[in-house]
Amino acid sequence: MAIAFPVRLGPAENTLIEQLNAAGAADQAERLAGAGLPTRRVETYHYTDLKTLLRSVPPLAGAATSASAPALEVPGAFQLMIANGAVQAHGTAPAGVIVGKAEGSVLTTRDDVIVRLNTAFAKESLVLNLEGSVDPVIQIDRRTEGPAAHASSSARIFVADNGSATIIETYSGSQEAHLANHATYVDVGANANVTHITVDLSAKASTHFATVEYQIGENAKLRSLVIHASAALERTQIFSRFAGEGAYADFTGLNLVNDGQHGDITLNVNHEVPNTGSKELYKQIARGRSRAVFQGKIVVERDSQKTDSKMMMQGLMLSDEAEILSKPELEIYADDVVCGHGSTCGKLDEDWLFYLVSRGIPKEEAETMLVRGFLEELLDPIEDEALNESLKAIVDSWLLGK
Amino acid sequence: MTTPMLEIRDLHVRIEEREILKGVNLVLPKGEVHAIMGRNGSGKSTLSYVLAGKEDYEVTSGEILLDGENILEMEPDERAAAGIFLAFQYPIEIPGVATMTFLKAAMNAQRKARGEGELTTPEFMKAVKEAGSRLHIDSDMLKRALNVGFSGGEKKRAEILQMALLQPKMCILDETDSGLDIDALKVVSEGVNALRSPERSMLVITHYQRLLNHIVPDVVHVFSDGRIVESGGKELALELEAKGYADFDENAAA
Repeated sequence: MAIAFPVRLGPAENTLIEQLNAAGAADQAERLAGAGLPTRRVETYHYTDLKTLLRSVPPLAGAATSASAPALEVPGAFQLMIANGAVQAHGTAPAGVIVGKAEGSVLTTRDDVIVRLNTAFAKESLVLNLEGSVDPVIQIDRRTEGPAAHASSSARIFVADNGSATIIETYSGSQEAHLANHATYVDVGANANVTHITVDLSAKASTHFATVEYQIGENAKLRSLVIHASAALERTQIFSRFAGEGAYADFTGLNLVNDGQHGDITLNVNHEVPNTGSKELYKQIARGRSRAVFQGKIVVERDSQKTDSKMMMQGLMLSDEAEILSKPELEIYADDVVCGHGSTCGKLDEDWLFYLVSRGIPKEEAETMLVRGFLEELLDPIEDEALNESLKAIVDSWLLGK
Repeated sequence: MTTPMLEIRDLHVRIEEREILKGVNLVLPKGEVHAIMGRNGSGKSTLSYVLAGKEDYEVTSGEILLDGENILEMEPDERAAAGIFLAFQYPIEIPGVATMTFLKAAMNAQRKARGEGELTTPEFMKAVKEAGSRLHIDSDMLKRALNVGFSGGEKKRAEILQMALLQPKMCILDETDSGLDIDALKVVSEGVNALRSPERSMLVITHYQRLLNHIVPDVVHVFSDGRIVESGGKELALELEAKGYADFDENAAA
């Protein structure tokens, strides 16, 4: 007979259990009390042991009474804001954009603690319906404001058939040790063309969790870009589903981690129908004593013949203490597919550096040039010029240690 | 006597436990072109890297004076700003760094180090266009990433383009002829010759005499086993070509 030892709970778990009970999610509270936060023994959290990494949880967020300066302003963008989980008033929506609200979170139920917590705590979701060719970039500006808070937010984006849109989500707020847990559901209609970008610019002392779900319709095109550039502990998880034939997606990301930080991008791509393609390209740069994690899993279902998928992770270590981890997985049940994966990791090439420095370029500037070059293929496909500049500026300021 | 452009005094250099340069002495006056000839592995390329300041080498004794100033303690970028330029034997391909971005960064970094203002974009474009046309470098080539996909000849021409733009006072050309056919050699040599001036000195490193028909040196030094074993006029290069390096190796051993 197996004897179940009770899990020893830490302060973060105890606070979460109290908060779940207060939010009326007694079943979730009980589940967490039984299992605790995931440790390295849980496969999907093997490199991001939340039991160890999440030391404490701040009180549940109240309404935001003030707003800090925007972390990113994209010129010409249509801005929407969610502050401490609440959808805020917005300006006049451009043509083809309908903004609404719905109760609760948008995430599909799945066995994942970040998803379960968001579902339990997110009270409402921003709902965006996009039709036709939406001209301005849409920015969803998510904030956690005020004293240190545990905030959960949610947004659902529908892009109608034949539509096109570029959406950027930014996460920022007051410089406190927040725990923020954000959810996004993006439904890409048939023949639609969508670029969806998430950028973590939240407080340095904070914890940032984000879950993004994509549903990709027939002949649709998606470009997804995740940028981690700020929080002490960050994990973005992507669950993507190819639901219509002829669809193609680029999944890309940039995990920038500084001294003392832990960044994790976990990707799940499901090719569920025949004739779809995806290309996954994730880059990680680690500085100081830090840890960058990429987990990428591509599943090709039995009937998904002619799937064409290629996953690549490239890591760049800027210090001897930095750690870059990469776990690519392919799970293929169809027999007529082209799938591959690769992973490389290294330091800046000394010969490249010497070449630049020997022409009079100071070492730091030369390093920055090389890192920019390393990242170029991630940012270049972002066509909107102002947005592209904004993203480059974020990367540059990270490189310059700001 | 005026200060020479470059003076190397009893230079000893090692990599890990192996001594590569074993007491190099060289005086290169302003405005002169000196050639260093020697077989592969004699230490010629090491000398060029040490002059440019590459880290992997340990200078155990000796001095390198550029226009009277010891440069051994200077970083490679400081040396470049002081006027040293090394045209690489194998120019490196750097994907992701645009050639024009690189050229502008290098020119402005050197100007900044010398306390001069940055170039405006039109000034920069004009300079590149002028220097490029002399070297048959078209704008398509400049649009690519630095040296990426360049042929051997294009890489060498791009090196000389950098030299023309940066206007160094001490040029070191490391095996600039390697990988070049006759036509490309001519273009490159003409580019180099156009830069000869009383204020600029050049050190041309090669193991073939052929380059020296195009870039005619004032003095030829023979390099063997980590030092200069003989110096003479340009006819020394012809003598080497006829006899080979064997005779000089004996001098080195003596």
